[in-house]
Formats: sequence, structure tokens, C-alpha cells
Amino acid sequence: MRRAHLLGLGFLSPALAIILMLFLIPVLLTVMFSFTNMSTATGISGGAYEINAASLRKLSDAGAQESFVETLGKEAFVVDDAGITAAAAAYGEQFANEVGSQMLGERFDSRRDLERAFRKLKSRPRSTRDIKKAADLFKRSVLNVRFETAGGLLDAVTGNGIEMTPDQQELLTKTIYTGWTWTSDNFALMAQIPYVWRVAGNTLMYVVLTLAASVGLGLFLAITTFYLPSGTATTFRAIWFFPRILPNVIFVLMWKWLAWDTGFLSSLLGNFGVPPRNWMLDTGANAWVFIVLINGIVGASLGMILFGSAIKSIPQSMLHASEVDGASRWQQIRYIILPQLRWPIMFICAYSTLSLLTSFEYILLSTDGGPGGATEVWSLMAFHTALDNYAGNLQYGLGAAMALMLVIVGILASLVYLRIFNFNDLVAKPRIEQ
Amino acid sequence: MTTLVSKLRQSTAAAVLAVTAASFAGDAFAKDLTITVWAGGSNDSDVYRLDAIEMAADMLTREYAINGEELNITVEKKRDFADWAAFKQAVTLAAEAGDAPNIVVTSHLDIAPWSQAGLIVPVEDYVDMDAWPLNNIYENLIEITSYNGVVYGLPQDAESRPFFFWKDTMKKLGYSDAEIDALPAKVESGEYTLANVLEDAKKAVDMELVEEGYGFYPRVSNGPDYAQFYQSFGGEMLDKETGKLLLDKQAMTDFYQFFVDAVEAKVTRKNHIGTEWDQWYAEVASGKAAMWHGGTWHYARYTGKEGLDDFFGNIQFTLIPAGNENGRANTITHPLAYLLTAQDNEDDVEIAAQLIKIASEPRINTLHAIKSAHLGIAKEQSNIELYANDRWAAEATERLLGQANAQPNHTGYGQFSQIMFKGLETAWTGTRTPAEAVAEVEAEMKATLGDEVIVR
Repeated sequence: MRRAHLLGLGFLSPALAIILMLFLIPVLLTVMFSFTNMSTATGISGGAYEINAASLRKLSDAGAQESFVETLGKEAFVVDDAGITAAAAAYGEQFANEVGSQMLGERFDSRRDLERAFRKLKSRPRSTRDIKKAADLFKRSVLNVRFETAGGLLDAVTGNGIEMTPDQQELLTKTIYTGWTWTSDNFALMAQIPYVWRVAGNTLMYVVLTLAASVGLGLFLAITTFYLPSGTATTFRAIWFFPRILPNVIFVLMWKWLAWDTGFLSSLLGNFGVPPRNWMLDTGANAWVFIVLINGIVGASLGMILFGSAIKSIPQSMLHASEVDGASRWQQIRYIILPQLRWPIMFICAYSTLSLLTSFEYILLSTDGGPGGATEVWSLMAFHTALDNYAGNLQYGLGAAMALMLVIVGILASLVYLRIFNFNDLVAKPRIEQ
Repeated sequence: MTTLVSKLRQSTAAAVLAVTAASFAGDAFAKDLTITVWAGGSNDSDVYRLDAIEMAADMLTREYAINGEELNITVEKKRDFADWAAFKQAVTLAAEAGDAPNIVVTSHLDIAPWSQAGLIVPVEDYVDMDAWPLNNIYENLIEITSYNGVVYGLPQDAESRPFFFWKDTMKKLGYSDAEIDALPAKVESGEYTLANVLEDAKKAVDMELVEEGYGFYPRVSNGPDYAQFYQSFGGEMLDKETGKLLLDKQAMTDFYQFFVDAVEAKVTRKNHIGTEWDQWYAEVASGKAAMWHGGTWHYARYTGKEGLDDFFGNIQFTLIPAGNENGRANTITHPLAYLLTAQDNEDDVEIAAQLIKIASEPRINTLHAIKSAHLGIAKEQSNIELYANDRWAAEATERLLGQANAQPNHTGYGQFSQIMFKGLETAWTGTRTPAEAVAEVEAEMKATLGDEVIVR
């Protein structure tokens, strides 16, 4: 490779690193997560094997014989010779002898009972933790013990004299594993939940309406400011740019102040006898109006800048000529400006579709998907599923599968847009240089 | 000269030896430890959730000193989380990254998923449950902090979620003082039901005692409170026999219908969910609503920040009334628990365990109970003057705690509760009828919870 190529790569490397870190790795992780049943309960970093009331229930649901389940679920502490020998090694002969002479052959249903018995002995260990550890030396069951490996569990089960067929072993280790497993169920699950379909509809509505609002408003602003004297135009543009540079939280808070039932709108309309209400969350339609306005106004500023500069690049001579021909302002817009804005409009549409599909911060801050899920969009649903649950069990796997759908839709949409854009034409060399 | 040099050498060597020995000896006995405690859902009046650990650290240090061991514990406290969800996200992600706080104060509902994930360890492995002060904690609370028969956490506080009446409005509706005093008993016996609530709330709106939407003014976000109304109509969350979650379609439909009726009668706002908490507190504490429901800890907020001077003169509290003949008057207690997270160093876990044990001392817990208007965890607290002389703690314990049940510790309960609330919201706001909403709930529960839910 030539040095110049290396140098080029060197210059590109920060960008490549960013793409890798902020796009490829997250997408790959999302793909990975979405094919798992990962949740708070399964953990991310792996699981263990534990027989307890909950996992035994699963075992019987999975078709294990009742007698097998029952044997596994028995808690037992038995004072036997093996235990006494172990106790002697860990806590001294004296303690072991005392246990042996007073308790040999006794059986306890829980560790707590055995601990209580130990506490009556004079030579017992004098720390709570040691008593518990001493008691564990006599444990002859696998109930509520966490094993890191399947082998460890199976050894312990057979060590306690429970015989298992290979089928039973497989069923046991498969069912009581606490960690996540690979699965493609998440996608079938999504199709089965009616709510998901409604959210899909919401998302489509959100993208279409917001896109229309932001492109329409952006165009309107770009064209109107074009015809204003430059000083006034700059001031207007700066004002319309505020929403974009304002922190999201503050921007939305101002909307909330406007819409709360103790807010500006209610106070104002109160003068006309309209009872106060939360205008933003009053009905689904209200919420949509606010969502579209909030997002549309933020989106409009980008359109305004892009369309504005595109209009400026239209040769002035064309506009002058049209004026000589007696064209009205509307005719200028209709026949000169709009046709030449085709590419910027398409670009903004494409770009905004993709960003709207994945953006939910303004909705989260304003309606949080309410009222009654009316404004819940796909990315917000993915967030709620994967990272936001009042009672705590977060569904990472299902949430990731939802996010993956967005990635897929996004990629498909980009391909469609590239086709419509006729990207090759856009990047074709100017004919004049051929 | 040589003698001097050699003497000097000898003494230097001796000094070095002595210093080294001293520092090694110091190492052997001194143990410096930082214990991090994170508390979820805690505001200013809940500081003793964290401060109790500091007090316990002081006590433990003294106990160690008596045994000749030097233990220095630094307690790092954190409670500034945006909300419960943010707290849980922070804890689980920190734990997955191997950076979990030693002690967390959180809902007992987290025990099921977190123990399965191995994020927490059973507290019973480290402390003697038969010894003071743990043997004094109410048995039913210990049961609530247990999962699969293993005690995973120590109850940090208890509470319950009563139904409130604004006395003045009730009087204007025609209730005499004696009738208002008899309300708790009438609610408990099932004589005064949610149907009466609707009726009285509607009257209050019609008579313009309260504004539209303020007849019955419920909680503004998801929480255990809504499961109470499911129970009012005969719903149960867990099938005791099989240990599986239970969706009672009839009870769920009736429960949704109640809120839809409340909206139709204009006693509850259609857009109520999502109202700001600050606004809500200010309104209920000033009599803007006729009836509402909340938690025992609201007492601290009403009489503190909201400046309600005479709580008992203005507000009556009862169980959540029964909905129909299938259900019962009830209240849910949602105790928080001290949980121990799994750590690489087991000695740290043991120290943390001893700290939460000492923090459960009735006298220390009483500080939290009274400051935050929660209920106590231990029997002896009624013999501590600070607790016994507090009218709210005494009356609320007597009137509510005996009837209180908890939500089930089950790994699927988080989804169960979320889906139930989502269904309620869609019915409440009119997006779906109650029957349609329940059908969606059923479909979603079956899909996401599978075998773990029984539909009845």
C-alpha cells in the first residue's frame, strides 16, 4: 500500500472508530440481544443453576415426573459421619465430638433448625457466619444452592443419592438454568401482542404527520424569510432556531407550562369560561397535536436552514427575468423555487424519516406515550420494555428485538430513498468535465 | 567513634524494625471499608433509610473495637434518582458491570428477579434470624422479603395505602360527624363500597362542592395502588396453590369499568394519569378533591410541605372500599427492604449484613417510621414513646396494617403489573372499552408470561 493510502486511512480512522463504536457495535449487540430472552431476572453476564420453588414449578410444567420434582425439592440436613469429619477439620475436634455425641443421626428440615441446635453446644463456633457454614457441612439436599456449572449441579444431585436418567438430567439443567438462552420467540411475541400493532400504527402516523409539519413549516419559513429584508430575515431565522438549540427538557417544559391545567392556555381560556384542563393529555387527538407541533417546530429549523441556503443558490437572474415577465410571487415560488428545491426536500424527508423513527425523547418528556398509550411510538415502546418498568423486571431481549425492527425498517427506508433519490445521478461527475 | 557509629546503627535498625512491626500490626487489625448504600424512591423525609446505616456503622465500629479490632467504615449514601425506574436501571446496570452498591433499599418486588439474576444474596446466610433485633420483626413482613422460602432482605419499613375523604365535603354531603367517624368500620364491613364512592363523588360535583374531575382523585401514575382496586372487585394476583400469577378477567373488567364510570360521571378526569405529583399533593391536601387514595407516608407530605395543620380534623382514612360482592375492602402494603448485593469480597457482604441488622433496631427504625410517616417493622416499636405517642403511626397501624396484603414476589409480576396498568389506561382514556382492554391484557399476558399466568 502506498504511503498516501496509509495517510488517508489515518485521517479516516477517527471516523471509522466512531462508526464502529457508535453504530456497528450497538447494532451488533442489538441483534445479539434480540435473539435472547434476556431480562433483569436472567442477568446479562450469564446464569447459574438453582433448584428452588420457582424453578421446580417450571420443571413440573416442562413435564418432569412429580416424584422426581418432589425428591429434588426436599430440604434436608442430616448429622452423619461425613459431616462430622468435615466439621472436625473446619471447626475443631471438640465441636465435632460434641455434635457427634449429641446429635448423630438427627435430621433437620431447615438450616435454621440445625443452627438452633448448634447454638446449644458449648464448643460451637462463636460467629454467626461460622455456625451457618458449619450447618452447611451437613446439608444433604440441593435446594436453594446456586451452582455455577451444570456439572456441579448434577454431581451434587447424584451425590445426594438421587438417580437421574440422561433425559432427566437434560431436562433439569435446561429448565432450572437462571441465565438467558438463545431464542427467536421475541419476534413471534411481538406479532401476538395487540398493543404492538397499535404502536406500529402510531409510529406511522407520527412520522408522516411530523414530517409533513416540519417540511411544510421549514419550507414556509425558508421562502418567507427569503423575501424579507436580510436583517429582519436573519432575526426571524434566529428565533426559529431557538427550539433546536434549547435543551430538550426546557423546551418541553415550556410546552407543558403552556398546556397544563394550571398553565397558560387554561388561564387564558378561563377568562372565557372554558374550564381548565390539561390540554396536552386531554384526549389522544390533543396529545397528537402537541407531539406533532413540538417535534415539527424542532424539525422545521433544520429544513429552514437547508431550504434557505438552497434558495439562495438559485441564480438571481432567473428571478429577475421572471419579474420582467410579470410573474407574481406565487408564480415565482411555484415555477422557480420549488422545482429547484426538489433535492433538498427529498433529502430532508429521507433524513427526517430515519431520525423520527428512532427519536422519542420529546414524546417521553411530554406525554410519555399517554394518554392511554395513544402517543406511544415504536422507539418509546422499545425503551419502556427494555429499560423502564415500575416493578423492576426489565425485558432486554424483547426490547432489543423491538429496536432491531427499527434498524431493519430504517435500512429498508434508506434503500428506498437512495433509489428514489437516484443517488448515482447525484454523485455523478458534472458533464462539463467529461 | 566506632562505638558511636555502631550504636547509631543499632538504634536506627531498632527504630526501623519497630516502625515496620507497628505498621504491620496496624495492618493486621485495622480494616478500612467503604459501604455504599443506594435508596430508591426516597425524598427528604426518608433520609433515615440511609442515615440508619451510618448509625449502625458507628455501633458496629464500637463492637469491633471492644473485640480489639479496628474497623473504619465509610458509608457512601445516594438517593437522588429521578424515579423508581431510573433507580432500578442504575442498580441493575451497575451490578452487571460489577460495580453494585453494597446495600440497596428497594421494593420487595425486586427480590424475585434480582435473586434469580444473582445480583443479591440471601441475608439469612449472614445474620442470625433468631437474634435481636431480627426476631422482633413482624413475621408477615419477613415473609414478604423472602422468596422461594429464603429470607433475601430485611424489611426497612412498612406502609399501607388508604382511601381518604375530605371531611368538610362529606359533611356538606349530609354526613354527620358520627357517620364520618363510623366510615372506617363501614368500609371494612363492606357496607360502604366503591359504588357509594361514585355516588357521593357525583353528588359533590353536582352540588359544586368540588370542581368536575375532583370527586374522586386517584393516583397519577402506575403503582401498587391500582392492584387494590383489582382486589376490590375480587381479583387475586397470585394463585396460592400453584404459585402462578392470576388474571381474573371478570374482576379486571369490573375494575376498569369502575374508572370508566367515574370518568363518565365526571367525578374523575379522563386525562388524570400524568398529572404532576406536586400539583396533585397540593390539591388533595387543600380539600380540592372530595375523595382520593394514597399512602400512609402521604401524612408527612400533607402536614409538612403542603402545610395542612389539622390532618385528623380534615381527613378521614379507611381501607380501599370493596367494589362488589366478589371483592373485599383491602389495602396493599409495599414494604421496602434492605438487600445485600453479591460482591467479590464476602467479608464486605458480611459487614453490610451486620449493618442492616443493626439498622433494624426498633429505636433506629422508629426514627424513619415517624419522620417519614411510615409504619414500623418490629413489635417492640409500640413500646418506644416516639412511635407510641404518634397518633398517625398508632391509628394507621391499627386500622390498616392488619388487613394489608402484599403484591407477590414473582419474576413475572413486573410485567403483570405493567400490562394491567396499560390496560387500565386505555380503558380510562376511552381508547378501548373495558372488555376490549381486558382482551388485550389477556393476549399480552398470555404471550409474555406464558405458563406463569393462569387466566380465569
